[in-house]
Amino acid sequence: MTSAIRTSGLSKDYGSGRGLFELDLEVQPGEVFGYLGPNGAGKTTTIRLLMGMIRPTAGRAEVFGLDAQDQAVEVKRLVGYLPGELAQFGGLRGREVVSYLAGLRGGVDPGRATQLAERLALDLGQRFREYSRGNKQKLGLLLAFMHDPRLLILDEPTSGLDPLNQQEFYRMVDEARERGATIFLSSHVLSEVEHVCQRIGIIRGGRLVQVARLEDLHHLRFHTVEVEFAGPVPADAVRAAPGVDDVAVDGERLTCRVQGDFTPLLAALETARVVNLVSREPNLEEVFLTYYRDAEPSAAGVVADGIDRGAQ
Amino acid sequence: MARLLRMLRIALRAHRTALLVMGGLSFFATYLQGAAFAAAAGHTAVERAAFAQEIDSLASQLAYLIPLPVRADTAAGYTQWRGFGGMTLVLPIWALLAATGAIRNEEERGLLETWLGSGLSRIGLIVARCLAFVMVAVVVVAMAGLGALAGVAASGESVRLAGLLELCLAVLGLLLACYAIALLAAQLVSTRRAATGLGGAVLVALFLLDSLGRINGRFSRWAVVSPFHLRNMTTAMAPGGSFDLPATLALFGIAIVVSVLAAGAFRVRDLGGSLVQGQARDRGVVHTVSPNPLLRLPVISALYEERVGLLGWLVGSLALAALIVSLAGSMNGLLSNASFQGYFAAAGTSDPTLVLLGVFWAGIAALLIAVYAITQVAQWADEDSQGRLEMILAQPVPRWRVVVERAGALALSTALLAGAGGLAIAALAPGQGVHLDGGRLLLAVGLLVVLALSYGALGAAVIARMPRVAAPVLGALAVVGFFMDEVGPLFKWPNWALDISMFRLYGAPLVSGLFATGLYVMTAIVVVGFGLALVAMRTREVGR
Repeated sequence: MTSAIRTSGLSKDYGSGRGLFELDLEVQPGEVFGYLGPNGAGKTTTIRLLMGMIRPTAGRAEVFGLDAQDQAVEVKRLVGYLPGELAQFGGLRGREVVSYLAGLRGGVDPGRATQLAERLALDLGQRFREYSRGNKQKLGLLLAFMHDPRLLILDEPTSGLDPLNQQEFYRMVDEARERGATIFLSSHVLSEVEHVCQRIGIIRGGRLVQVARLEDLHHLRFHTVEVEFAGPVPADAVRAAPGVDDVAVDGERLTCRVQGDFTPLLAALETARVVNLVSREPNLEEVFLTYYRDAEPSAAGVVADGIDRGAQ
Repeated sequence: MARLLRMLRIALRAHRTALLVMGGLSFFATYLQGAAFAAAAGHTAVERAAFAQEIDSLASQLAYLIPLPVRADTAAGYTQWRGFGGMTLVLPIWALLAATGAIRNEEERGLLETWLGSGLSRIGLIVARCLAFVMVAVVVVAMAGLGALAGVAASGESVRLAGLLELCLAVLGLLLACYAIALLAAQLVSTRRAATGLGGAVLVALFLLDSLGRINGRFSRWAVVSPFHLRNMTTAMAPGGSFDLPATLALFGIAIVVSVLAAGAFRVRDLGGSLVQGQARDRGVVHTVSPNPLLRLPVISALYEERVGLLGWLVGSLALAALIVSLAGSMNGLLSNASFQGYFAAAGTSDPTLVLLGVFWAGIAALLIAVYAITQVAQWADEDSQGRLEMILAQPVPRWRVVVERAGALALSTALLAGAGGLAIAALAPGQGVHLDGGRLLLAVGLLVVLALSYGALGAAVIARMPRVAAPVLGALAVVGFFMDEVGPLFKWPNWALDISMFRLYGAPLVSGLFATGLYVMTAIVVVGFGLALVAMRTREVGR
């Protein structure tokens, strides 16, 4: 079966170590693939290379077997695209922007666009420049989904959306997947990707460092926990609890890192008087720092390993 | 105070390009006129007296643009009329763009919120902006003064320094008054485009009030409220000229009072809103897509989006044609003056009104069309840098289509503007006793489209590599071309050098028919420019 996305040795060198380097990646049709990485990691560069907006320094990218550079027009017939930053449409009203871009694309059902606007509670009568950031993002989502594409390439799709609209977006992704569409979305929020994706790739410093199924990523999942006590701190019991490490005590406050299940930590705290407990999900940078602090494996090796483990 | 100074530095940095362009332009505009005087007027008193007589007659027909000269037989008088007179037309446009850009442009880009969020007060912000403009304006006017000084010296004459300073003071007052008026206009509407439109309309109205006051006595008593009139009251650079202190003080008074009003308006209005806000209409929420078919038509969709601006240009084009035709009728007698026979002979016609229409209507129309084409190029650059191109190319459209559509939209819109002007001329001219060759009028209109496409092609080629510099480069090209067309013949520059000017390539089709070489060169520019743009578009990288 032809891959929805396939890149081989795809590179874009901006100099000074910036860009994307030797990306080998495959996304299968019908898959929801999350592309994770901190700011400046190379997510948007990858997406622009897939969309044929920029030229690779080396390597190639294919979308459903079509070359992303040489067959860009054919590729875009199959793709719905949400850029990281939506274009300025100034004085045009939302409904005019949709009509204009639908006219360029051709074959768009206006009823489908109306349905999406209703679902996202987006007023298409407003002028673009009057839209809030969230409304601009909703318009971008509408434009990406309006023609029911075979492949959705979405650059940080929930950025600026309120929680209600984030949920609506997740439902839209589920529906697209159910009708057989492939979704490639970038994010820097681990929990968001976990919410909708079956497989994720992690990029850092322009290199893909991990590709894996979601269930294989539990070792990446940890929480930073901060506990305040009104009495003695059970530091030894906490240190002895399985899955708990990085324990530090400062007066009546204890911080630690919990990987996996919380039950051992809660058991260790059972006899102590806890007045406050805060558990925080780490951001991606912290995940990377933790995961790679002991040994920085060669990127190529990890990528190859990740693809082997993660490919469906 | 520290915040104010920081803002002042930011504001001054924003003026860097304008300082270089306007400073250079001011210097050369006055220098070239001063230096050209000796070559144009001759060296004996008799030659210069005859030259002054010709200039006085010529100035009469240009009185709607520039006031009459004082002592055109001297380098100082000639430079004051032609150099400073020309700059009086250009500098207010800069003031308008600077004032509307200072607030509205940065407001639309979200920069204003950032600055106000840093603890700077609104009054502090607008004070810093005004101070920065004052500082830059002083330098620009000083450059004009230095240019005049050097130019007159190059002609072997001298200029009274105090008189030059007084004239510069009046020009500075005009510049600051125009800036303040545009700044106030920018508070009354909610977008940069609307601010430029409103500010421009007010300045044009004030300019026309002064013009009408000069050519028609009925308007003269109203002209005193126009800053342009107040500036023209000072003619101190020319021998025997005068410095009108009250008029100059009035200019600075207008600048201060209107700036204070603008600051007050800026202080009380909403960011992103206008000072005067009407009751919001409860139009209900819309979820349907626009059914307007024009938005889906290639080329037409671009014109539809620009319909308001295009309408403004259309009205301007019609007004210009009507004004020139009415002047042609009323100046028929004046143009019969013997001193003009040389001009007519050179133009190859004995019909003075034909010369007026052919040279002045077509000449000004060519300038306007060039400016229109440059605004379109600036818009293309904006589209590329603001992500519009990325969204267009995210649709299944080939890259070449973007270049072809832009060229098509430019051709269609300029055909509309030039055609409207041509139709107005054709309709009104017989009423004034002017009989035109329909074929030549059609040729003049058609060549205006080719001229616009030439600027568009150059812009499209430059945008592919350096989008930010495209509009300034074309602007400089237009200004240099205009001046070359103006002063080149006086310096007896070779034809190949003069032909670099796009206005020269356009020729005077209404008077002397087709300038075939010009058409060939312009066509080559169109083909090569858009060809380069097509090639570059295939490989260029898109995205912010």
